[in-house]
Amino acid sequence: MAFRDDVRRIRAIVWKDLTTERRSKAGFSAVAALGVTILVLFGLALGPDGKALQSAAAGALWLAILFASVLAFNRSYQVELDGGALEALLLYPGSRWAIFAGKLIANLLFVLAMLVIVVAVGIVLFAVRVPAEWAALLGIMMLGVVGIVSLGTFYAAMSSRSRAREVLLPLLLYPMLIPVLLASMEATKAFLLGDLLNASGAWVQMLSLFDVIFLVATFLGFEYVIEV
Amino acid sequence: MANGMIENGGIAYVVAAYVITWVVLGALLAHAVGSARRARAEYDQAVKGGYRT
Amino acid sequence: MSPAPTPSFEPPRPLHAAFGWLVFGFFIFTQAYAVLTSPADAMMGHLQKIMYVHVPSAWVEFAAVGVVLFGSLYFLWKEDERADLLAASSAEVGAVFCGLTLVQGMIWGRPTWGVWWTWDARLTSTLVLFLILVGYLALRSFVEDPHRRGQWSAVVGIIGAINVPIVWMSVKWWRTMHQIQSNPRSLSPEYLRGLLLNLAAFTLLTAWFIWRRYEAARYERAAEHVSQAAALGGIDG
Repeated sequence: MAFRDDVRRIRAIVWKDLTTERRSKAGFSAVAALGVTILVLFGLALGPDGKALQSAAAGALWLAILFASVLAFNRSYQVELDGGALEALLLYPGSRWAIFAGKLIANLLFVLAMLVIVVAVGIVLFAVRVPAEWAALLGIMMLGVVGIVSLGTFYAAMSSRSRAREVLLPLLLYPMLIPVLLASMEATKAFLLGDLLNASGAWVQMLSLFDVIFLVATFLGFEYVIEV
Repeated sequence: MANGMIENGGIAYVVAAYVITWVVLGALLAHAVGSARRARAEYDQAVKGGYRT
Repeated sequence: MSPAPTPSFEPPRPLHAAFGWLVFGFFIFTQAYAVLTSPADAMMGHLQKIMYVHVPSAWVEFAAVGVVLFGSLYFLWKEDERADLLAASSAEVGAVFCGLTLVQGMIWGRPTWGVWWTWDARLTSTLVLFLILVGYLALRSFVEDPHRRGQWSAVVGIIGAINVPIVWMSVKWWRTMHQIQSNPRSLSPEYLRGLLLNLAAFTLLTAWFIWRRYEAARYERAAEHVSQAAALGGIDG
Protein backbone atom coordinates (compact mmCIF):
# COMPACT_ATOMS: atom_id res chain seq x y z
CA MET A 1 0.00 0.00 0.00
CA ALA A 2 2.78 2.42 0.92
CA PHE A 3 4.64 1.47 -2.22
CA ARG A 4 1.66 2.38 -4.35
CA ASP A 5 1.67 5.83 -2.76
CA ASP A 6 5.36 6.16 -3.52
CA VAL A 7 4.82 5.26 -7.15
CA ARG A 8 2.13 7.87 -7.37
CA ARG A 9 4.42 10.46 -5.83
CA ILE A 10 7.14 9.56 -8.29
CA ARG A 11 4.78 9.96 -11.21
CA ALA A 12 3.59 13.28 -9.86
CA ILE A 13 7.10 14.61 -9.48
CA VAL A 14 8.16 13.43 -12.93
CA TRP A 15 5.09 15.03 -14.45
CA LYS A 16 5.61 18.27 -12.56
CA ASP A 17 9.29 18.52 -13.48
CA LEU A 18 8.68 17.78 -17.12
CA THR A 19 5.72 20.10 -17.57
CA THR A 20 7.56 22.96 -15.92
CA GLU A 21 10.27 22.16 -18.39
CA ARG A 22 7.85 22.13 -21.31
CA ARG A 23 6.31 25.45 -20.42
CA SER A 24 9.71 27.04 -20.32
CA LYS A 25 10.54 25.85 -23.78
CA ALA A 26 13.77 27.75 -23.59
CA GLY A 27 14.98 25.17 -21.09
CA PHE A 28 15.31 22.16 -23.32
CA SER A 29 16.20 23.97 -26.51
CA ALA A 30 18.93 25.93 -24.77
CA VAL A 31 20.53 22.85 -23.26
CA ALA A 32 20.34 20.89 -26.51
CA ALA A 33 21.79 23.83 -28.39
CA LEU A 34 24.59 23.99 -25.86
CA GLY A 35 25.34 20.32 -26.40
CA VAL A 36 25.61 20.89 -30.13
CA THR A 37 27.79 23.96 -29.67
CA ILE A 38 30.17 22.00 -27.48
CA LEU A 39 30.39 19.35 -30.18
CA VAL A 40 31.32 22.01 -32.69
CA LEU A 41 34.04 23.29 -30.40
CA PHE A 42 35.43 19.79 -30.02
CA GLY A 43 35.35 19.40 -33.77
CA LEU A 44 37.37 22.57 -34.16
CA ALA A 45 39.79 21.48 -31.47
CA LEU A 46 40.40 18.02 -32.87
CA GLY A 47 39.86 18.33 -36.62
CA PRO A 48 39.70 18.87 -39.50
CA ASP A 49 41.40 15.57 -40.30
CA GLY A 50 38.66 12.99 -40.73
CA LYS A 51 40.58 10.11 -39.15
CA ALA A 52 41.38 12.08 -36.02
CA LEU A 53 37.77 13.12 -35.68
CA GLN A 54 36.48 9.59 -36.07
CA SER A 55 38.71 8.22 -33.34
CA ALA A 56 37.83 11.12 -31.04
CA ALA A 57 34.11 11.01 -31.75
CA ALA A 58 33.10 8.87 -28.78
CA GLY A 59 34.98 11.03 -26.28
CA ALA A 60 33.70 14.29 -27.71
CA LEU A 61 30.14 13.02 -27.76
CA TRP A 62 30.13 11.99 -24.12
CA LEU A 63 31.80 15.16 -22.90
CA ALA A 64 29.32 17.28 -24.81
CA ILE A 65 26.47 15.37 -23.20
CA LEU A 66 28.07 15.68 -19.77
CA PHE A 67 28.65 19.43 -19.94
CA ALA A 68 25.17 20.13 -21.22
CA SER A 69 23.53 17.84 -18.66
CA VAL A 70 25.21 19.60 -15.77
CA LEU A 71 23.12 22.66 -16.54
CA ALA A 72 19.99 20.61 -16.43
CA PHE A 73 20.80 19.15 -13.01
CA ASN A 74 21.05 22.37 -11.04
CA ARG A 75 18.00 23.72 -12.80
CA SER A 76 15.95 20.71 -11.82
CA TYR A 77 16.05 21.85 -8.21
CA GLN A 78 15.91 25.52 -9.06
CA VAL A 79 12.20 25.40 -9.77
CA GLU A 80 11.38 24.16 -6.29
CA LEU A 81 13.85 26.41 -4.58
CA ASP A 82 12.50 29.55 -6.22
CA GLY A 83 8.99 28.86 -5.07
CA GLY A 84 9.91 27.50 -1.68
CA ALA A 85 8.29 24.29 -2.80
CA LEU A 86 11.03 22.05 -1.48
CA GLU A 87 10.04 22.57 2.14
CA ALA A 88 6.43 21.90 1.22
CA LEU A 89 7.45 18.74 -0.58
CA LEU A 90 9.34 17.55 2.47
CA LEU A 91 6.40 18.25 4.75
CA TYR A 92 4.26 15.65 3.06
CA PRO A 93 4.61 12.27 4.68
CA GLY A 94 6.28 9.69 2.54
CA SER A 95 9.65 8.34 1.63
CA ARG A 96 12.39 10.61 0.44
CA TRP A 97 13.60 8.11 -2.07
CA ALA A 98 10.44 8.75 -4.05
CA ILE A 99 11.49 12.38 -4.46
CA PHE A 100 14.87 11.28 -5.71
CA ALA A 101 13.31 8.72 -8.05
CA GLY A 102 10.98 11.32 -9.47
CA LYS A 103 13.75 13.84 -10.11
CA LEU A 104 16.00 11.12 -11.45
CA ILE A 105 13.45 9.92 -13.98
CA ALA A 106 12.61 13.45 -15.07
CA ASN A 107 16.29 14.25 -15.59
CA LEU A 108 16.78 10.95 -17.36
CA LEU A 109 14.06 11.69 -19.89
CA PHE A 110 15.42 15.20 -20.36
CA VAL A 111 18.98 14.07 -20.96
CA LEU A 112 17.93 11.19 -23.23
CA ALA A 113 15.94 13.61 -25.38
CA MET A 114 18.98 15.86 -25.59
CA LEU A 115 21.21 12.89 -26.33
CA VAL A 116 19.23 11.99 -29.43
CA ILE A 117 19.85 15.43 -30.88
CA VAL A 118 23.49 15.61 -29.87
CA VAL A 119 24.27 12.14 -31.20
CA ALA A 120 22.56 12.86 -34.49
CA VAL A 121 24.61 16.01 -34.95
CA GLY A 122 27.75 14.24 -33.76
CA ILE A 123 27.39 11.50 -36.33
CA VAL A 124 27.38 14.11 -39.04
CA LEU A 125 30.10 16.39 -37.70
CA PHE A 126 32.51 13.61 -36.81
CA ALA A 127 31.83 11.45 -39.87
CA VAL A 128 30.89 8.53 -37.70
CA ARG A 129 30.14 5.31 -39.48
CA VAL A 130 26.95 4.05 -37.86
CA PRO A 131 27.18 0.31 -37.36
CA ALA A 132 24.33 -2.02 -38.24
CA GLU A 133 23.63 -2.73 -34.60
CA TRP A 134 22.78 0.86 -33.79
CA ALA A 135 20.20 -0.30 -31.27
CA ALA A 136 22.97 -1.80 -29.18
CA LEU A 137 24.78 1.52 -29.34
CA LEU A 138 21.69 3.23 -28.01
CA GLY A 139 21.63 0.69 -25.20
CA ILE A 140 25.21 1.50 -24.30
CA MET A 141 24.44 5.19 -24.28
CA MET A 142 21.43 4.68 -22.05
CA LEU A 143 23.58 2.87 -19.52
CA GLY A 144 26.04 5.73 -19.51
CA VAL A 145 23.30 8.30 -19.15
CA VAL A 146 21.84 6.46 -16.16
CA GLY A 147 25.17 6.76 -14.40
CA ILE A 148 25.58 10.43 -15.23
CA VAL A 149 22.03 11.34 -14.30
CA SER A 150 21.94 9.45 -11.01
CA LEU A 151 25.12 11.06 -9.70
CA GLY A 152 24.22 14.41 -11.22
CA THR A 153 20.75 14.51 -9.68
CA PHE A 154 22.24 13.47 -6.36
CA TYR A 155 24.99 16.08 -6.15
CA ALA A 156 22.71 18.80 -7.50
CA ALA A 157 20.50 18.29 -4.46
CA MET A 158 23.35 19.81 -2.48
CA SER A 159 24.99 22.19 -4.90
CA SER A 160 21.72 23.88 -5.86
CA ARG A 161 21.22 24.86 -2.24
CA SER A 162 24.66 26.21 -1.51
CA ARG A 163 26.73 29.17 -2.52
CA ALA A 164 28.84 28.98 -5.67
CA ARG A 165 26.55 26.32 -7.09
CA GLU A 166 27.92 26.70 -10.62
CA VAL A 167 31.37 25.58 -9.59
CA LEU A 168 30.41 23.20 -6.82
CA LEU A 169 28.40 20.79 -8.94
CA PRO A 170 31.10 20.14 -11.54
CA LEU A 171 33.79 20.08 -8.87
CA LEU A 172 32.01 17.35 -6.92
CA LEU A 173 30.51 15.53 -9.88
CA TYR A 174 33.27 15.17 -12.44
CA PRO A 175 35.76 13.14 -10.37
CA MET A 176 32.92 10.89 -9.27
CA LEU A 177 31.86 10.32 -12.85
CA ILE A 178 35.27 9.20 -14.07
CA PRO A 179 34.54 5.45 -13.97
CA VAL A 180 31.16 5.86 -15.66
CA LEU A 181 32.56 8.22 -18.29
CA LEU A 182 35.58 6.07 -18.97
CA ALA A 183 33.47 2.97 -19.39
CA SER A 184 30.91 4.78 -21.57
CA MET A 185 33.50 6.37 -23.80
CA GLU A 186 35.49 3.19 -24.20
CA ALA A 187 32.43 1.07 -24.87
CA THR A 188 31.17 3.57 -27.44
CA LYS A 189 34.60 3.90 -29.03
CA ALA A 190 35.13 0.17 -29.29
CA PHE A 191 31.67 -0.27 -30.71
CA LEU A 192 32.07 2.44 -33.34
CA LEU A 193 35.49 1.29 -34.41
CA GLY A 194 34.47 -2.28 -35.07
CA ASP A 195 34.99 -3.90 -31.70
CA LEU A 196 37.74 -6.25 -32.66
CA LEU A 197 38.43 -7.65 -29.21
CA ASN A 198 34.87 -7.58 -28.01
CA ALA A 199 36.14 -4.83 -25.81
CA SER A 200 32.81 -3.12 -25.65
CA GLY A 201 31.24 -6.15 -24.01
CA ALA A 202 33.64 -5.98 -21.10
CA TRP A 203 33.14 -2.24 -20.74
CA VAL A 204 29.38 -2.61 -20.85
CA GLN A 205 29.56 -5.09 -17.99
CA MET A 206 31.69 -2.67 -16.00
CA LEU A 207 29.34 0.19 -16.81
CA SER A 208 26.34 -1.81 -15.64
CA LEU A 209 28.15 -2.64 -12.40
CA PHE A 210 29.01 1.02 -11.86
CA ASP A 211 25.41 2.02 -12.51
CA VAL A 212 24.16 -0.40 -9.88
CA ILE A 213 26.73 0.74 -7.32
CA PHE A 214 26.03 4.42 -7.82
CA LEU A 215 22.27 4.03 -7.99
CA VAL A 216 22.29 2.23 -4.66
CA ALA A 217 24.70 4.71 -3.12
CA THR A 218 22.77 7.77 -4.26
CA PHE A 219 19.41 6.39 -3.24
CA LEU A 220 20.75 5.61 0.22
CA GLY A 221 22.49 8.94 0.54
CA PHE A 222 19.68 11.14 -0.73
CA GLU A 223 17.70 10.93 2.47
CA TYR A 224 20.53 12.47 4.46
CA VAL A 225 21.11 15.15 1.92
CA ILE A 226 17.60 16.37 1.27
CA GLU A 227 16.46 16.41 4.88
CA VAL A 228 18.87 19.05 6.13
CA MET B 1 67.74 2.65 -19.49
CA ALA B 2 71.50 2.89 -18.94
CA ASN B 3 72.75 2.61 -15.41
CA GLY B 4 74.91 5.68 -15.62
CA MET B 5 72.04 7.84 -16.76
CA ILE B 6 69.99 7.20 -13.68
CA GLU B 7 72.86 7.47 -11.27
CA ASN B 8 74.04 10.85 -12.49
CA GLY B 9 70.68 12.52 -12.77
CA GLY B 10 69.13 10.60 -9.95
CA ILE B 11 70.56 12.58 -7.06
CA ALA B 12 69.00 15.85 -8.16
CA TYR B 13 65.58 14.25 -8.32
CA VAL B 14 65.97 12.68 -4.90
CA VAL B 15 67.00 15.97 -3.38
CA ALA B 16 64.08 17.74 -5.04
CA ALA B 17 61.62 15.18 -3.72
CA TYR B 18 62.93 15.40 -0.19
CA VAL B 19 63.13 19.17 -0.12
CA ILE B 20 59.58 19.52 -1.38
CA THR B 21 58.35 16.97 1.13
CA TRP B 22 60.00 18.63 4.10
CA VAL B 23 58.96 22.13 3.10
CA VAL B 24 55.34 21.08 2.67
CA LEU B 25 55.32 19.17 5.95
CA GLY B 26 56.90 22.16 7.64
CA ALA B 27 54.15 24.37 6.31
CA LEU B 28 51.54 21.87 7.50
CA LEU B 29 53.18 21.90 10.90
CA ALA B 30 53.01 25.68 11.10
CA HIS B 31 49.39 25.61 9.99
CA ALA B 32 48.39 22.89 12.45
CA VAL B 33 50.12 24.44 15.43
CA GLY B 34 49.06 27.96 14.55
CA SER B 35 45.41 27.14 14.10
CA ALA B 36 45.31 25.07 17.28
CA ARG B 37 46.82 27.91 19.27
CA ARG B 38 44.46 30.46 17.75
CA ALA B 39 41.40 28.34 18.36
CA ARG B 40 42.46 27.74 21.95
CA ALA B 41 42.95 31.46 22.50
CA GLU B 42 39.56 32.15 20.91
CA TYR B 43 37.93 29.68 23.26
CA ASP B 44 39.61 31.09 26.33
CA GLN B 45 38.50 34.56 25.27
CA ALA B 46 34.93 33.43 24.83
CA VAL B 47 34.92 31.78 28.23
CA LYS B 48 36.32 34.83 29.91
CA GLY B 49 34.11 37.19 27.99
CA GLY B 50 30.93 36.82 29.95
CA TYR B 51 29.48 33.37 29.83
CA ARG B 52 27.17 33.08 32.74
CA THR B 53 26.10 29.74 34.12
CA MET C 1 12.82 14.28 14.42
CA SER C 2 16.51 13.43 14.53
CA PRO C 3 18.16 12.70 17.89
CA ALA C 4 19.88 15.61 19.56
CA PRO C 5 23.51 15.60 18.52
CA THR C 6 26.14 14.97 21.15
CA PRO C 7 27.69 18.39 21.49
CA SER C 8 31.36 18.71 20.82
CA PHE C 9 31.09 21.89 22.78
CA GLU C 10 33.36 20.79 25.56
CA PRO C 11 36.93 21.53 24.63
CA PRO C 12 39.08 18.56 23.71
CA ARG C 13 41.76 17.16 25.95
CA PRO C 14 44.90 18.80 24.64
CA LEU C 15 47.72 16.69 23.41
CA HIS C 16 50.86 16.73 25.48
CA ALA C 17 53.65 18.75 23.90
CA ALA C 18 56.18 16.02 24.58
CA PHE C 19 54.35 13.72 22.19
CA GLY C 20 54.84 16.24 19.39
CA TRP C 21 58.56 16.50 20.01
CA LEU C 22 58.89 12.75 20.17
CA VAL C 23 57.04 12.26 16.90
CA PHE C 24 59.13 14.81 15.06
CA GLY C 25 62.34 13.51 16.53
CA PHE C 26 61.48 10.03 15.39
CA PHE C 27 60.59 11.32 11.95
CA ILE C 28 63.91 13.09 11.49
CA PHE C 29 65.77 10.05 12.72
CA THR C 30 64.06 7.61 10.38
CA GLN C 31 64.47 9.87 7.38
CA ALA C 32 68.17 10.31 8.04
CA TYR C 33 68.63 6.64 8.78
CA ALA C 34 66.94 5.47 5.61
CA VAL C 35 68.65 7.96 3.33
CA LEU C 36 72.11 7.48 4.71
CA THR C 37 72.17 3.73 5.19
CA SER C 38 70.44 2.47 2.08
CA PRO C 39 72.78 1.39 -0.72
CA ALA C 40 72.37 2.49 -4.31
CA ASP C 41 70.04 0.24 -6.23
CA ALA C 42 71.37 -1.75 -9.18
CA MET C 43 68.82 -0.35 -11.56
CA MET C 44 67.70 2.90 -10.07
CA GLY C 45 70.78 4.17 -8.33
CA HIS C 46 70.06 6.64 -5.60
CA LEU C 47 66.69 7.38 -7.09
CA GLN C 48 65.44 4.51 -5.00
CA LYS C 49 65.61 6.70 -1.91
CA ILE C 50 62.49 8.55 -2.99
CA MET C 51 60.65 5.47 -1.84
CA TYR C 52 61.19 6.50 1.78
CA VAL C 53 58.95 9.52 1.38
CA HIS C 54 56.79 8.31 -1.47
CA VAL C 55 55.53 4.99 -0.13
CA PRO C 56 54.79 6.31 3.37
CA SER C 57 53.00 9.35 1.92
CA ALA C 58 50.83 7.10 -0.22
CA TRP C 59 50.04 4.84 2.72
CA VAL C 60 49.21 7.76 4.96
CA GLU C 61 46.96 9.31 2.34
CA PHE C 62 44.87 6.16 2.15
CA ALA C 63 44.79 5.84 5.91
CA ALA C 64 43.51 9.40 6.13
CA VAL C 65 40.77 8.63 3.61
CA GLY C 66 39.91 5.62 5.76
CA VAL C 67 39.44 7.93 8.72
CA VAL C 68 37.24 10.17 6.58
CA LEU C 69 35.17 7.17 5.56
CA PHE C 70 34.67 5.73 9.03
CA GLY C 71 34.31 9.11 10.68
CA SER C 72 31.59 9.99 8.21
CA LEU C 73 29.80 6.69 8.71
CA TYR C 74 29.93 7.13 12.46
CA PHE C 75 28.66 10.67 12.18
CA LEU C 76 25.65 9.62 10.12
CA TRP C 77 24.93 6.84 12.57
CA LYS C 78 25.40 8.57 15.92
CA GLU C 79 25.13 12.23 14.87
CA ASP C 80 28.18 12.95 17.00
CA GLU C 81 29.65 16.19 15.74
CA ARG C 82 33.12 15.20 16.89
CA ALA C 83 33.20 12.49 14.24
CA ASP C 84 32.47 15.10 11.60
CA LEU C 85 35.30 17.33 12.80
CA LEU C 86 37.66 14.38 12.85
CA ALA C 87 36.72 13.46 9.30
CA ALA C 88 37.25 17.03 8.14
CA SER C 89 40.67 17.28 9.76
CA SER C 90 41.64 13.97 8.27
CA ALA C 91 40.50 15.06 4.81
CA GLU C 92 42.64 18.16 5.03
CA VAL C 93 45.78 16.33 6.09
CA GLY C 94 45.00 13.57 3.61
CA ALA C 95 44.79 16.08 0.80
CA VAL C 96 48.24 17.42 1.65
CA PHE C 97 49.79 13.96 1.61
CA CYS C 98 47.89 13.12 -1.54
CA GLY C 99 49.43 16.11 -3.27
CA LEU C 100 52.84 15.13 -1.95
CA THR C 101 52.44 11.58 -3.19
CA LEU C 102 51.56 12.89 -6.62
CA VAL C 103 54.56 15.19 -6.84
CA GLN C 104 56.95 12.54 -5.51
CA GLY C 105 55.54 10.02 -7.96
CA MET C 106 56.08 12.41 -10.84
CA ILE C 107 59.60 13.21 -9.72
CA TRP C 108 60.36 9.51 -9.54
CA GLY C 109 58.75 8.90 -12.89
CA ARG C 110 60.65 11.50 -14.88
CA PRO C 111 64.10 9.88 -14.83
CA THR C 112 62.60 6.41 -14.83
CA TRP C 113 60.18 6.62 -17.72
CA GLY C 114 61.29 9.84 -19.34
CA VAL C 115 57.98 11.62 -18.83
CA TRP C 116 56.45 13.63 -16.01
CA TRP C 117 53.13 11.89 -16.35
CA THR C 118 51.88 8.52 -17.46
CA TRP C 119 48.23 7.66 -17.26
CA ASP C 120 48.81 4.62 -15.13
CA ALA C 121 46.35 3.42 -12.51
CA ARG C 122 48.36 4.56 -9.52
CA LEU C 123 49.15 8.11 -10.59
CA THR C 124 45.73 8.70 -12.08
CA SER C 125 43.85 7.36 -9.08
CA THR C 126 45.95 9.51 -6.78
CA LEU C 127 45.14 12.56 -8.83
CA VAL C 128 41.45 11.74 -8.82
CA LEU C 129 41.52 11.16 -5.08
CA PHE C 130 43.14 14.55 -4.68
CA LEU C 131 40.31 16.13 -6.65
CA ILE C 132 37.73 14.28 -4.58
CA LEU C 133 39.30 15.56 -1.36
CA VAL C 134 39.46 19.09 -2.73
CA GLY C 135 35.79 18.83 -3.62
CA TYR C 136 35.00 17.63 -0.10
CA LEU C 137 36.85 20.56 1.45
CA ALA C 138 35.28 23.02 -0.98
CA LEU C 139 31.82 21.75 -0.08
CA ARG C 140 32.54 22.31 3.60
CA SER C 141 33.73 25.83 2.96
CA PHE C 142 30.53 26.68 1.10
CA VAL C 143 28.12 25.48 3.77
CA GLU C 144 27.60 27.56 6.88
CA ASP C 145 25.19 25.59 9.01
CA PRO C 146 27.17 22.99 11.01
CA HIS C 147 24.48 20.34 10.93
CA ARG C 148 23.93 20.58 7.21
CA ARG C 149 27.68 20.75 6.64
CA GLY C 150 28.21 17.61 8.66
CA GLN C 151 25.47 15.63 6.92
CA TRP C 152 26.46 16.67 3.44
CA SER C 153 30.20 16.17 3.95
CA ALA C 154 29.58 12.78 5.47
CA VAL C 155 27.63 11.52 2.48
CA VAL C 156 30.03 13.10 -0.01
CA GLY C 157 32.98 11.67 1.89
CA ILE C 158 31.56 8.17 2.02
CA ILE C 159 30.63 8.01 -1.65
CA GLY C 160 33.92 9.66 -2.58
CA ALA C 161 35.91 7.10 -0.63
CA ILE C 162 33.97 4.24 -2.21
CA ASN C 163 34.79 5.68 -5.62
CA VAL C 164 38.55 5.42 -5.18
CA PRO C 165 38.93 1.67 -5.77
CA ILE C 166 36.38 1.93 -8.57
CA VAL C 167 38.45 4.59 -10.32
CA TRP C 168 41.59 2.52 -9.83
CA MET C 169 39.93 -0.53 -11.31
CA SER C 170 38.55 1.29 -14.33
CA VAL C 171 41.86 3.00 -15.16
CA LYS C 172 43.69 -0.32 -14.78
CA TRP C 173 41.25 -1.92 -17.18
CA TRP C 174 41.57 1.02 -19.53
CA ARG C 175 45.31 0.48 -19.82
CA THR C 176 44.94 -3.27 -20.13
CA MET C 177 42.44 -2.92 -22.96
CA HIS C 178 44.84 -0.64 -24.82
CA GLN C 179 47.58 -3.16 -24.10
CA ILE C 180 49.93 -0.84 -22.36
CA GLN C 181 52.40 -2.57 -20.12
CA SER C 182 52.45 -1.69 -16.48
CA ASN C 183 55.71 -1.12 -14.68
CA PRO C 184 56.16 -3.52 -11.81
CA ARG C 185 58.27 -2.40 -8.92
CA SER C 186 59.95 -4.95 -6.73
CA LEU C 187 61.51 -4.39 -3.36
CA SER C 188 64.69 -6.07 -2.21
CA PRO C 189 64.88 -6.91 1.50
CA GLU C 190 67.76 -4.59 2.41
CA TYR C 191 65.45 -1.65 1.88
CA LEU C 192 62.68 -3.07 3.95
CA ARG C 193 63.80 -1.94 7.39
CA GLY C 194 64.20 1.68 6.37
CA LEU C 195 60.83 1.57 4.68
CA LEU C 196 59.02 0.11 7.68
CA LEU C 197 60.61 2.63 10.02
CA ASN C 198 59.51 5.46 7.79
CA LEU C 199 56.03 4.02 7.48
CA ALA C 200 55.78 4.09 11.27
CA ALA C 201 57.20 7.60 11.46
CA PHE C 202 54.85 9.00 8.84
CA THR C 203 51.87 7.33 10.48
CA LEU C 204 52.67 8.88 13.84
CA LEU C 205 53.32 12.23 12.22
CA THR C 206 50.02 12.17 10.39
CA ALA C 207 48.14 11.15 13.49
CA TRP C 208 49.70 14.12 15.25
CA PHE C 209 48.75 16.50 12.42
CA ILE C 210 45.18 15.24 12.35
CA TRP C 211 44.85 15.48 16.09
CA ARG C 212 46.10 19.06 16.13
CA ARG C 213 43.67 20.13 13.41
CA TYR C 214 40.90 18.25 15.17
CA GLU C 215 41.79 20.07 18.36
CA ALA C 216 41.57 23.40 16.57
CA ALA C 217 38.18 22.49 15.11
CA ARG C 218 36.84 21.43 18.52
CA TYR C 219 38.03 24.62 20.20
CA GLU C 220 36.41 26.65 17.44
CA ARG C 221 33.08 24.90 17.92
CA ALA C 222 33.33 25.23 21.66
CA ALA C 223 34.08 28.93 21.33
CA GLU C 224 31.10 29.35 19.00
CA HIS C 225 28.82 27.65 21.47
CA VAL C 226 30.09 29.69 24.37
CA SER C 227 29.54 33.00 22.62
CA GLN C 228 26.14 31.84 21.42
CA ALA C 229 25.17 30.93 24.95
CA ALA C 230 26.45 34.26 26.20
CA ALA C 231 24.46 36.09 23.55
CA LEU C 232 21.34 34.26 24.61
CA GLY C 233 21.95 35.16 28.21
CA GLY C 234 23.28 31.86 29.43
CA ILE C 235 20.48 29.76 27.92
CA ASP C 236 21.70 26.40 26.70
CA GLY C 237 21.60 26.76 22.87
